Amino acid sequence: MPKAPSKPLTISITEDAAQYVRSFAEQGGKPDSDIRVGVKGGGCSGMTYILDLADGPGEDDKIIEEHGLRLFIDKKSYVFLAGTTLEYSGGLNGKGFVFNNPNAKTTCGCGTSFSV
Amino acid sequence: MSEEANASERSVVGYTMSDAPPVDLRREATPANLDPHGVDAPHADTSLSDEYDAATTRVGLVDRSDLGRLRVTGTDAIDLLNRLSTNKLNDLQVGHGAYTVVTTNKGRIIDLLFVLRLEDHLSVATSPEAHQVVADWIEFYTFVEDVSVEDKSGKSATLGLMGPSAVALLDRVSKADASAIAPYASVAASIEGIEVLIVRTDFTGSPAFDLVLQSEELTKLRQHLLDAGSDSGITPVSEDAFEVLRIVQGRPRYGNELTEEFNPLEANLIEYLHFNKECYIGQEVVARLNTYDKVQKHLVGLSWEGEYDPHLTSELATEGKSVGTLTSAAVSPRTRRRIGLGYVRNAQTEPGTKLVMGSGDTETEVRVEELPLTP
Repeated sequence: MPKAPSKPLTISITEDAAQYVRSFAEQGGKPDSDIRVGVKGGGCSGMTYILDLADGPGEDDKIIEEHGLRLFIDKKSYVFLAGTTLEYSGGLNGKGFVFNNPNAKTTCGCGTSFSV
Repeated sequence: MSEEANASERSVVGYTMSDAPPVDLRREATPANLDPHGVDAPHADTSLSDEYDAATTRVGLVDRSDLGRLRVTGTDAIDLLNRLSTNKLNDLQVGHGAYTVVTTNKGRIIDLLFVLRLEDHLSVATSPEAHQVVADWIEFYTFVEDVSVEDKSGKSATLGLMGPSAVALLDRVSKADASAIAPYASVAASIEGIEVLIVRTDFTGSPAFDLVLQSEELTKLRQHLLDAGSDSGITPVSEDAFEVLRIVQGRPRYGNELTEEFNPLEANLIEYLHFNKECYIGQEVVARLNTYDKVQKHLVGLSWEGEYDPHLTSELATEGKSVGTLTSAAVSPRTRRRIGLGYVRNAQTEPGTKLVMGSGDTETEVRVEELPLTP
């Protein structure tokens, strides 16, 4: 049986986005902060993205390091975010942090909720 | 990544929303008792008609112990349920409840729940057939939130008390001042030494109470109520008579009207939808359907003469075009004509509209009726 093409089972962050996180953290007085990314159940399409500054990982978190920043993700969220890239859309018409999730079948109008 | 981790992650990734619960469980049709002195009547001298009369003009007692019951705990429980269903739950006070519809991301019905906030947990009543599906749904959407679901279905008993004299009877037996219980509120009480939670769920569409108690005490409580209420003409109401009442009132049922084929606006459940609350699954679809007046069909009452058709997915047509579906049917205990519920396209929902069910020898004229139906 042919092996199904697999997406890399990881979550990544662009350099731009990482820089914005760092400057955001500095402004908030927490320059060494890392971030937590995740998924919350509910939200108009089914699931909602979570993005927060974090001091350290939880017990069962996966840790991904990229561009000098650590991302903490709980195991269940990790599965739903597999292959996702956290980007930053700036400028006058920018949307801010955006989750570019290849698993998402539908998203809601404001982009904060998705379904798989 | 280790092989073990890979395997567990693959198995979860494979579990997408399309194969997540629930399944559309269309019930097997069961004809209402056609024989007024039928074998399902609990007492030899009570007829379906008398049970119906008791439930609507005196006091009726019905066993509702088959309701699904989930015990949901955790500091994030109410918030999660608020994000998974249509009504605003996060400002419920302790002792108060609300009906709410769990919907898919396309705004289709999974089940109608009654969520009661108690001191240290949420008591969630589901349709009898849906407790596993709803429990699985809540768990599927639990990530790092502090939420736990225990399926307590079948571990307690529920007696439903309905009819205009129900309040007075409850007052007499429980000293609980039942008339002061607001809709969807509850009070703990003691009836003949039996601990009972009295919940005003209004499950008939009129004031009605669920008495939730330990299973072992059910027989004793039931007998006590029958004795205490005999002057009020209390009558046990059979499943068949209760089904007639449900259809007359137009209250949707799991597997009949509550299925993933329909949305809550079509099912006349708008009173359980909140249009000014935080995000919930399917909210955008439901809100847009309402705002842009895009609901295509509605649940209506139906009546017809002639034989009862057991195929409850029977198509309703006009001028050769399909315009609806029959979803529930029973025999009126008073007039003996057939009554039912069905979803019909808006253009044909005017009471008095004549539709056609079946074809050839079985073709039957069906009339659209206002809800509640005239029994």
